[in-house]
Amino acid sequence: MILKLAWRNIWRNRRRTAVILTAIVIGLWAMVFLSALMRGIADRMVKNAISTMTGHIKIYHAGYRNDPVIENRIENPGEIKNILQSLPAVRQFTSRIRVNAVAANARHSGGVTLVGIHPGREAGISFTGDAVTEGEYLKDEESQGILVGRALLEKYETRIGHKLVLMSRDASGEIASRAFRIRGIYDAELESTERQFVFVNLAAAQEMLGVNGDVTEFSLLIDDYEEAAAVAASVGRRFDGDDLAVYSWKELLPLVVAVLKMYDGFILFWFAAVFIAIAFGLVNTILMAVFERIREFGLMRALGMKPSFVVAEVSAESFFLLFIGTVAGNLLGAASVAALSQRGIDLSAFAKGIEFAGMSRIIFPVLELGDILTADAAVLVLGMAVGLYPAIRAARFSPVEAMVHM
Amino acid sequence: MNFIMAWRNIWRHPRRSILTIAAIVFATMLLVFMLSWQFGAYDTMIDATVKIHTGHIQIQAQGYQDQRDMRKVVPDPNEIERILTSLRGVKSYTFRAEDFSLVSSENRTYGVLVIGIDPQKEPSVSTLEDMIRRGRFLEAGDRRSALAGEILADNLNSPVGGDLVLLGQGRDGSIAATVLTIKGIFNTGQDEFDRTMIHIPLEYFQELYNMRGAVHMAVVLCDSLTAVPAVKERIAGALSGIDSSLAVLDWKELNPGLVQAIQMDLVSGFIFYLILIIVVAFSIMNTFLMAVFERTREFGVMMSMGMGPGRLMGLLLMESLGITLIGVVIGTIAGAAVTWYFQIHGMVIPGAEEVARQFGLPERMFPQLSFLSIAVGAGIVLILTVLSALYPAFKVKGLKPVEALSAV
Amino acid sequence: MTIVECRNVKKIYRQGEVSVTALDGVDLSIVKGDFMALAGPSGSGKTTLLNMIGGLDSPDGGSILLNGQALEKMKPSQLADMRLHQVGFVFQSYNLIPVLSAVENVEFVMLLQGMPLQERRRKALAILDDVGLAGKYGRRPAELSGGQQQRVAVARAIVGAPAIVLADEPTANLDSASGKDLLKLMQEMNESKKVTFIFSTHDKMVMEYARRLTLIRDGRIVEDRRK
Ligand SMILES: Nc1ncnc2c1ncn2[C@@H]1O[C@H](COP(=O)(O)OP(=O)(O)O)[C@@H](O)[C@H]1O
Ligand SMILES: [Mg+2]
Repeated sequence: MILKLAWRNIWRNRRRTAVILTAIVIGLWAMVFLSALMRGIADRMVKNAISTMTGHIKIYHAGYRNDPVIENRIENPGEIKNILQSLPAVRQFTSRIRVNAVAANARHSGGVTLVGIHPGREAGISFTGDAVTEGEYLKDEESQGILVGRALLEKYETRIGHKLVLMSRDASGEIASRAFRIRGIYDAELESTERQFVFVNLAAAQEMLGVNGDVTEFSLLIDDYEEAAAVAASVGRRFDGDDLAVYSWKELLPLVVAVLKMYDGFILFWFAAVFIAIAFGLVNTILMAVFERIREFGLMRALGMKPSFVVAEVSAESFFLLFIGTVAGNLLGAASVAALSQRGIDLSAFAKGIEFAGMSRIIFPVLELGDILTADAAVLVLGMAVGLYPAIRAARFSPVEAMVHM
Repeated sequence: MNFIMAWRNIWRHPRRSILTIAAIVFATMLLVFMLSWQFGAYDTMIDATVKIHTGHIQIQAQGYQDQRDMRKVVPDPNEIERILTSLRGVKSYTFRAEDFSLVSSENRTYGVLVIGIDPQKEPSVSTLEDMIRRGRFLEAGDRRSALAGEILADNLNSPVGGDLVLLGQGRDGSIAATVLTIKGIFNTGQDEFDRTMIHIPLEYFQELYNMRGAVHMAVVLCDSLTAVPAVKERIAGALSGIDSSLAVLDWKELNPGLVQAIQMDLVSGFIFYLILIIVVAFSIMNTFLMAVFERTREFGVMMSMGMGPGRLMGLLLMESLGITLIGVVIGTIAGAAVTWYFQIHGMVIPGAEEVARQFGLPERMFPQLSFLSIAVGAGIVLILTVLSALYPAFKVKGLKPVEALSAV
Repeated sequence: MTIVECRNVKKIYRQGEVSVTALDGVDLSIVKGDFMALAGPSGSGKTTLLNMIGGLDSPDGGSILLNGQALEKMKPSQLADMRLHQVGFVFQSYNLIPVLSAVENVEFVMLLQGMPLQERRRKALAILDDVGLAGKYGRRPAELSGGQQQRVAVARAIVGAPAIVLADEPTANLDSASGKDLLKLMQEMNESKKVTFIFSTHDKMVMEYARRLTLIRDGRIVEDRRK
C-alpha cells in the first residue's frame, strides 16, 4: 500500500522525476565507469609490472635484492626446481640470470640489464613470449642470439643481424665481455623497458659469467595473483634452511602498490564527491514534492494517519528514485565498459606522458564488483539517510499548518 | 524592480534556494581547491625537474637531445658565455658535458652516466648541492673527484672517500680511464637519478674524455618560468649569426614526458570535474524548473499586463543567475579559504608519498591558489549552471497567456 | 469613438473528438466611456470573449479591431505591446504578483512601459489613494483582504491609461458589500477618469450598476441595451 502510493506519487510530476533520475543515473554511471577506467589503468599497470620480469613470486639468493650482483646467486637451482615442481600452488616457473651490464656497439654504449632465459619456459611467464615484432624469438640451443627492445635498437642505430657487445663482471670479479647478434626486436608497453632489458639464452649467460649452471632468480606464476603473499610465505617455508629469500610481487613492486593504494583513495573520494552532488538534488526534489502536497499530508494527519506512515511513504519515494537511478546507472556504466572493452581507449596521443606516468598505451576499463557494490550501497543507504530529512519534515505537517500554507 | 522581484522570488522558498546554493557552493569549492591543488603540483613538478636536472633552457648541438652522441658538442662554451652574460632575463647558467661509462669499485661494476659540472656555476642553476647527504659538494680545483647518487653508492658498496675506477670512451674514440674518489653522496629522491649518475668536475671531464674545450650543453635558468619563451627567442637570435649547428631547447622540449603527463592529468581532471558539475547541474535544474511551473499563473498575469516573453525569460534567468552567483561567490571564497589554509600548512596525502617522490614532489604538498585556478573553477560552475537554467527559462517562452492564466 | 469592434467572432475549442463552440459569431462594438456589463450564465462565453478582446487568445473566425487595429494579424510580441498600452485586466481571483507590495504591483505596469522611477512612484501612490488604499502602500497581497486586493488590481489596470479595462467577474470572489464597493469604485473611475470598462458577471445585482447591458448566451449576443 505504502509502496503503491509512493510509486504513483513519484510519477505525478514526470518531468521533475525525469530530471532527478537523470542526475542520479549520470552520477551512478560516472561512479561505475570512471572507477572501471581507473581500475583498468591500475590493472594494466600491475599486469605490466608483473610481466616485466617480476612474476607473481620471486626467489632470490638472500643477498641479491639489496646487492644484485652475480656473487649473490643461487647455486642449487636443480633442487629448487624439484621442490617447485612438487608444489601444486605453483602454476609455472622459470629461472633466469639477471645482472647489470654494459651494451656497446661501434657508435654507442650504455647500461642495460642482461637477462639470461630459458626461451621456452620464459615465453609463458613474462611479456617476452609475444612481444617480438621483428626478427625472431630466441631458440633453445642457440648461444649467439640476443633480443633487444625497439627503443634500444634506435638509440644504438643498429638492426637485426648486427653485433652487440655485452660486458659485465663475471663470478671471479673480472670484466667478461662477449659479442651477440641481434636476433629479434621486441616492443614493450614502456619505452624504458625496451631500453633496459636485453635477452640471451640462459646457457650463454652462464657461460659468459662463468657460473656453470647457476641462476640468480626463479620467477613463479600462481593461479590468483592476489594470493601471492600467502603462497610466497608457504613457498618460503619450504626453503627455510637455505640461503634464499622469497618475495611476492607486492614486496617487489612497492611503487605499483603505492599507486594502487592511491587509486583506492581516489575512487572513494570520487564516490563521495558524486554522492554529495546527487544528495543535494535528491533532498531538494523530495522536499519540493513534499511541500507541494502539504495539504494532502495535513489531510492524512487529520484523518488520523500516523507520522511514521508519512515518513515511510516519503522514504519509499526516495527509495524508488534512488533504486531506479542506481539500476539504470549500473546498466549504463556496464554497457559503456562493455563497449570499450574490445578496443580500449587509445592514449597514444599522450605517448610520452603515459610513459612518464608509467601507464600503458591502451586502457581497458575493468568492472570490479567491489567498486560497484560500494557505489550502489553508498548511494542507496546514504541517499535514504539524507532523504529522511524531507520525510520527517512531511510527517510534522499539522492539519493547521497545511491550511495556512495554501 | 526586476532585480528586486528576482531577489524576492529567490527567497520565496528559502529552504529550496539554500539547498540549491549549497550544491553550487560545494561544486565551486571542490573545483577551486582541486584546481589549485593540480596547478600547485604542476608548478612543484616543473620546478623540481627544472632545478634538479634540465634547467629552463639548454643550448646543445643539433640532434644531441635525441641521440646523446658524445661527438655532438657545443664547441666553444666561451662564446656562449659571452652571449649569456649580456642577455636580459637570464638568471644564471652553467655548462655540462656527459657520457656513459663503466664505474667499478673493488668488487662491483655499474654502467653510469658521468656528468661533468662546473663546481662554481652549478649551484646557481640546480639544487644538486642541497641534495648532498654525506660528504661535500665539488669545489674549485677538485680533479679526480666524484659525487655519486645514494643508490649507486650503495650498489657499489662505496662510502665517501672510496675509490672508483672509471672506464669510458673519449670524444675521439680513445680510452678514458681514471680513478676517482667519492667526495659526496647525493639523494634527489628520484631513484632513476640516484641509481645512474655520478658528477665530476667539468674541467677534468674535458681532459679525461678529450673534449678539447667543448661541452655538451649550456644550461640556463631564467628569472621565471613565464620569461622562458622570450629568453629562448633572444638566445636563438644571438646564436643564429654565430653557429647554426646549435639548437636552443626549452624545458618543455627537454621534458616531453612531463609536459604530456601534465596535459593528460589536466584533461582527465577536467573530464572528472565536468561530469561532477553536470550531476550538480541536473540536481539544481529541478529547482529552476519548479520555479517556472509553480508560477505559471503568475506569468499569465504578467503577460496579460503586457510583459513580453523575452522580458519574462529575462526575469527567470536573473533569478537563476542570482542563485548561481550567490553560490559561486560563497563557494569561491570558501574554496579559496580552505586552499589558503593548506597552502600555508601543506597537506600529506596518506599513501601517496612514495608515488609523489618519484615525480619529484615533496611528501607534504602545497596547493597553489592562483587567479587561474579560481577563475577556471568558478567559471566552469557558473557556465554549466546557467546553461542548466536555460531550459526552464525557454519553457516560458512558448507559454500562451490564456493557458498560463488557467493553470493552477 | 469606437474602441473595440468585433465582427462575426468565432471561437471553437477542440478537445479530441468533441468540439465546443464558445463564440458563435459575435458582433459587438464598444465606444469610449462605456461602462458595460457582459452578462450570461456560466459557460456562455464571457471569459472567452474578454480574452479575445484583450488579445490573450485569438479567434478562429471573424475579426477584432482594437483602436482600429486588427488583433488577429498581430504577432505575440505586438499583442504584448498592445496589451501593455491599451488594455487593463482585472481578474476574478485578484492575481496580484505575490512578491511585490501594493505600490510595486501598481508600479509594475509603468515599469514595463518604461516610465522613470520618480514619476512611476508618484502616480502609483496617487492612484492607490484614489482607490482608497492610502497608507497600505507597502503591504504584500497576502496582507490585504480580498476587496483590498481587488482594488489594487483595479488601480493596476487603470494606471497605465489603457483604452479599455476588461474585468472578468471581478466581484465573484468578494462578499456582497465589498463587491458593491468595488463596483462603485469602478463607476467613479469611469466617470472621473473616463476609463472604459467591460465587466462580465452573472450576478443580477452587479448588472444594476452597468450603463450598458449586453447579454450573451451559448456564444451569441442575445440582447444589447443602454440604460
Ligand atoms: N480551454 C478550453 N478548452 C475547451 N473548452 C473550453 C475552454 N475554455 C472554455 N471552454 C468552453 O467554452 C465555453 C465558454 O467558456 P467560458 O468563456 O469560460 O464561459 P464563461 O466565462 O461564460 O463561464 C464553455 O462551454 C467552456 O466549457
Ligand atoms: Mg468565465
